[in-house]
Order: sequence, then C-alpha cells, then structure tokens
Amino acid sequence: MTPTVSASGLTLRYGGTVALDDVSLRLSEGVTGLLGPNGAGKTTLLRVLATAVPADRGAFTVLGHDPGTTSGRLDVRRALGYLPQTPAFHPDFSAFEFVDYVAILKELTDRSARHREVRRVLEAVDLSDVRGKRIKRLSGGMRQRVGLAAALVGDPGFLVLDEPTVGLDPEQRMRFRELIAESGVGRTVLLSTHQTEDVAMLCHRVIVMVRGSIRFEGTPAELTARAAGRVWSSTARDPGARAGWRTGTGSFRNVGDPPKGADLLEPTLEDGYLLTLDGEPAEVAA
Amino acid sequence: MSELVTRTVVEEAAPTGVEPPAQDLHPNRTRAVIALARFEARELLMQIPVLVFLLLYVAYTGWGMFNGREGMDDYPVLHDVDRSTQTAPLLLALVLFVSINRAVLRSRRQGTDRHFDVLVMEPWRRSLAHALSAVPFAVFTALVVGFEFTWAALKPGAVGHGSLAELLVGPLSILLAGALGVLVARSIPFTFAVPPFVIGMYVLTTLVAASTQGTHWVQWLAPVVTEEGAHPFPSDLLGRPAAWHVLYLVGLIVLLLCLALLINGGRTPRIKAITVLALAVMAQGIAGQAPGDSAALIAARAKASATPEKVQTCVAHERSTYCAYPEWTGQTADWAEVVQRVQSLAGGPASAERLTVRQRVDARSGLESDSALEPAKAPGVVTVGTRWGGNRIPEFAVGVASVLVTGDETSSGEVCDARSVIIMWLALGSESHPLTMLRHVRLDDSITGGGLALAPTNPVSMNAAQTEVIKELLQKPRYSVIPKVKAHWAELTSPKTTTAQVAQLLGVPTPTGPGALSVKTCEE
Repeated sequence: MTPTVSASGLTLRYGGTVALDDVSLRLSEGVTGLLGPNGAGKTTLLRVLATAVPADRGAFTVLGHDPGTTSGRLDVRRALGYLPQTPAFHPDFSAFEFVDYVAILKELTDRSARHREVRRVLEAVDLSDVRGKRIKRLSGGMRQRVGLAAALVGDPGFLVLDEPTVGLDPEQRMRFRELIAESGVGRTVLLSTHQTEDVAMLCHRVIVMVRGSIRFEGTPAELTARAAGRVWSSTARDPGARAGWRTGTGSFRNVGDPPKGADLLEPTLEDGYLLTLDGEPAEVAA
Repeated sequence: MSELVTRTVVEEAAPTGVEPPAQDLHPNRTRAVIALARFEARELLMQIPVLVFLLLYVAYTGWGMFNGREGMDDYPVLHDVDRSTQTAPLLLALVLFVSINRAVLRSRRQGTDRHFDVLVMEPWRRSLAHALSAVPFAVFTALVVGFEFTWAALKPGAVGHGSLAELLVGPLSILLAGALGVLVARSIPFTFAVPPFVIGMYVLTTLVAASTQGTHWVQWLAPVVTEEGAHPFPSDLLGRPAAWHVLYLVGLIVLLLCLALLINGGRTPRIKAITVLALAVMAQGIAGQAPGDSAALIAARAKASATPEKVQTCVAHERSTYCAYPEWTGQTADWAEVVQRVQSLAGGPASAERLTVRQRVDARSGLESDSALEPAKAPGVVTVGTRWGGNRIPEFAVGVASVLVTGDETSSGEVCDARSVIIMWLALGSESHPLTMLRHVRLDDSITGGGLALAPTNPVSMNAAQTEVIKELLQKPRYSVIPKVKAHWAELTSPKTTTAQVAQLLGVPTPTGPGALSVKTCEE
C-alpha cells in the first residue's frame, strides 16, 4: 500500500534538547496510535507533520506533497486535518460559524458547497442539533467534537489528532473513539495519546516514542506480543520487575523478566508498551 | 428561554439526506480572502458598538436631511454639501478601527492562532481579509453620502456643484480605519494598545495643528479637512485640493495595508511592488495638496470680495437690478420677490426706488473666514449673502427695508431711533406669521425688550418701547397700516420722530416705557 505520509531522518532541537532524533516513519490508511511518555516528542512530531514547525533536518511527504516548498506546504495543508492538543475556540462563535471559519481558512470558497460541507462534518460528529449554539455554552465533550469537525472539514486525507480524548468522561471518550474510528475509514489518522486503551480499541498500527526517537513501530498485537511470558503475578512487589503495581485483587502485576515458576499472566498492550519504554518513566492511563 | 442560545447563522440551503464530502473546493485563493472578508464583515456587524454607531450615523444624517431647519436647507450650496458629508463617518471609522483591531487579535487572544497557522490561508492573507471587511461599511457610507448629496442636489433651490473627490473622503476614511486597525494589530499585538494609540493620535494631531499654526500641508495630512466659514464661496474660489487629497488617501490606505501584510509575512514580490507604488501615489498626493492657495486664487478671492461686479451677472426684475455670482443667478427671482414685497409697503420715493441688490462674500481670509460682510457704501445698494432660505429671507428683508428707509447700508447701521419701527414693519409686515418671523430675526429669539434684528450687513437695534410698537403693528391687518405708513412716510422715516409719535401716527397704543418719548441716538 502506498504510504500517505513518508518521513525520514526528521530531527529537531530546541536549544540543547533533542525533541526529534532522526525519526523515520511511514503511515498509511487507517488509525495509527502514537504512544510515549511526556516529553517523548509526540506533539513535536505531530506539529512537524502538520507543518506548524519545520524540522532542522530530514524530510517528509504527505500524499506525495513536499512541505519544503511553498506550494508543497500549501498542498500538504490542503490535505491536512489537525486537532491540536488543547484546541482553542472562539467562544462567541456558534459551532457552525467556527467550523465555517476554519473551512474558509482551508480555502473552501464556494459558499453553498462550503456550508454543505460544514453541515456534513457537524452531522458526522453528532452536533447538528447544537450547531447554532455558542461554543462557550457547549460542554467539554461537545467542544472537542467541534474541534474534530473543524479538523474533518474539507475531507482531508491526513488527520492529525493530538491527545483528543484527554479530559473527556468515559462516555464522551467512547463516543469520541467511535468518531475517530469512523474518521479512519478511507484516510490516514495519526493519533497521539496517553491512553493505551485508545490504541487497543482504535489503531491498526502503533508507534512508541521515547526521548525523540521511535522505539517501536508495528501493530498493537505485535506490541502486546512483546510482553508474552513477561508478565506475572505475585503477592508482593517483585524487586526484579521493570515495573509493578498493585491490582484491585490485592496481588501485584509485574512486567520484566519473570523468576522461575512465576505465575504468568496474559499480556496486554499496556504491558508491551511499558516493556518498550525500558525503564523510562511512563505515564499510562488505561 | 430555550437552553439553546443561538446566533444568527446565515446558511445556504438546508441539507437533504446524506451528502458526500465536498469536492474541488479550492478554485481561487483570492476568492477565499473575499469569503473571509465577508465573514469578518458579518462579525463586525454583529458587534454592538459597530451596530450602534452605524445606526447613529444613519440617524444623524437622516436628521440633518429631514429636520428642515426651518427652511435653511432648502437652498443648499452643493460645493459645501459635499464637504459636509465627511465628518459624520469619522465616528463610525473610529469604532471600526477598534473593532477590526480586536478582530485581528481575536486568534491571538483566544489561542486559536497556533491551530489556524497550519491551515491553508496564510496569516497575511487573513490580515488582508480583515482590512477588506471594512469595504461593505465603506460602500454603505458611500451610499449614505450619495443619498445625502443627491437629496440636496434635487432641491429646487440647490446651487453650485459638488465634487466627487470630496464625496469620496467619507468612504475612504472608513477604509483607512480598517487598514490602520490591521496595521496596529500586527505591529502591537495587544488590544490594550488601542486606547493609548487613539489618545496618542489625537494629542499628536492637536499638537501638530497648534505648533504649525494651521500650516496648509500639515493640515491636509489629516483624513478629513473641513473648512467652513460663515458664508459659502463660489466654487471657483474654494481652492481645495480634493482630488489630490483622495490620491493621498488612497496611497495611504494601500501603504498602511501593505505594511501590515509585510509585517505579517506577506513579503511577496507583488506586495513589495504595490508598497512602492502606494508610497509613490501617497507622495504624489501630498505634493499635490501641499502648495496651498495659489497667488491666482488669492487674487481671484480678493477680486470677488472687493469688486464683485467684475465677476457677477446682473439681471433686472421690475425696477431693480440683481447681481449674483454665476452659480447663484437662479436665486435672483427669490430676492426680487422679497424686494417687491417690502417695497410695496413703503411710501414716498422709497416705493419707487431703483435698488441694486448685490451678492457679496468676504473670501480674502480664506474658507474659514467668519468675518461679517461690510455694509455697501453706495446709495440704494442692498447686500445679499450666499446663504438663502430660513432666517436668511427675513434678514434680507430687514436689509432691504433699512436701505429704503435710510438710503444706504452704511447709514442703516446708525439707526438707533424710532426708524427701527418702520424698518421692522416693512420687513415683516407682509409675512403670514410676522411675530414668529420677528422672533426668528432677532438675535435673542424673543419678542420682548430691546434687541437686535439681524440683516446681511448691519443689524437693526430696537429698544423695549419700539419692540412693543412693532409687535402692535405686526398684529394689525397690514391693509389697515399701509395707508398710514404711506401718508406719514416722511415723519416715520425721520430720525427726529420719537417712538411715541410713531405709535400715534400709526394708531397703536403709545408706549410709556423709557425711550418712548425721546429721540434716541446711537451715542446714548
């Protein structure tokens, strides 16, 4: 399958900090999850791919367009839908107006076609009924959906979502996951998240970043398989484990190299992710 | 109240069924800028201050057009009317400046700029759209200005001709506000910068105006230069560089906008070229409007002021002659009507006197001259100004009556005696509402006590006793007074006749107050 996004050697430094270190990746149709601890460079990678900041070195293409040129960058932006980590809104705009405004900034010029498109994406995120309501009067989940609608407007081929489920309650999170899954049909979605559950439920591929580098790239099953035979239960925290935590039953779940005779458990994606971090402090919310 | 607080969303037709994603929606980048400008213009219109000032502008203009001002607007001077349209849009321009500035900074203020910066339309194009969002308001202003001017031009008493350049200044000031609002936002990206900027501009303008004592070229750097004196001038004496000023404003607007775009990242060759061109246009405009009044213009003003007969056209109506500047020749019939009305009430030789009514201005001190017209020295010459209608008509009648009674305007300035009674009766006796006219023509707008009645040159003074006699006379049917006036013309127009005698001669109650029995002189 021809990749939608192809990047090689992306490197970016902020002062003495390496935010991206020789990152190469290929993304194709479907939802790809981007996991990593805080400071791993996830948001920086998304911002580079969204053309918000240029990389110091390396190159990438989106749907064959090279953002290194002015016209190429415009073509990339035309193909791009971007939901930033903490999306901001114009609170006095209605949901319709805000998405319409973004549509204009995406240079959808024909008014009637644009309005049809805005209605389509608002319907897709289930906001048709409140499209005339001011954003400041919408709930957090509704606002997040307005942000997704703004990202989806114009039917972009490449959708970049930066931690879209943060701050949502479980019900809203489930609804949002459904929307993302629907969005992944027929387009490439790169989803940055702390939630391994998001990845397990949504993604056909997963990338794990640590300190600006890609530590793992594969399917969620492959990431999970990394922990096969390396997860065990114990009555006390095993000092030999790379990570361990008390579970709801009172026993401890450990990942790492199990001792002989350990009570092995079925691995999860989270276990695979923790093992991939290899000692990096992880921030995981299952 | 519904939980849904909705905004007015102007949408195209409602959806029908499931719709596919939009296809091929990027035909033209300029169209996108225009689409954003339309969006922002609609947002501006939804701002309460903009809406309020827009309505205030319309209401103020409408009030000026329709309140009538007791007939004074029935004879508009069109080359003054065009200039009078320039000031009212300034308040709208100010509120648009503030609102557009806030709109430009909206993304920064609300944190959407990081998101919007990865969208297709570059920030400098967004700035351009913000500036263009002022265009509908400029067009609206142009319509109001056009309507205001057309309304005046269609009046039967309109004189002169307007200038398109003068009419364009109001709409251009709106566009200037838009460009300036964008530039300030892009230069100082904080909304709190606006109030100090506005105050700073005001202080700077005031200081410059004060320090240069009205130096012409500095004065004309302001967007609106209103010069208005007591009397309208013939259009060829205006000497306003209106066309150059429009060129200057156009250059300034484009230059300010280009600077905003350049600051905002729009450093394209085209914008750089337009910047240079705008600078050249603005410089040309400044150069064109800078020189001030030419020697030829000053000479023409002096000639029209001191020897108006050399530039005027004279026409005869009945036994009198009426001389007007070329643009006012259509008003001579109105003047003649007043003269004939006044003269018909007079007796003695005054009833058949051949008067010369001469229109005059004093243009020697420039357009903002407020100096009163000097009385004409020649016998039988009556001065008429360049304003007509409303109070100007009875004031002219007072002037005509004064000359009929005293012989010339210079002498009429020395009327402090009972002759003021007959002058005022001649002037107002044939009016349908003479007491109302008396109130209008008096400086203090009263009909009791002493006062001054205005005339084109010298006013006529009257004391309380004379005012009482005048009131009594004006309340009597004029046909009962006319025979007595004609019969006693010599005594009534004699400076030696007292007010009490005048009252007795004309058959009205004799006043008893001070000044009724003595012959008052101006020295008293």
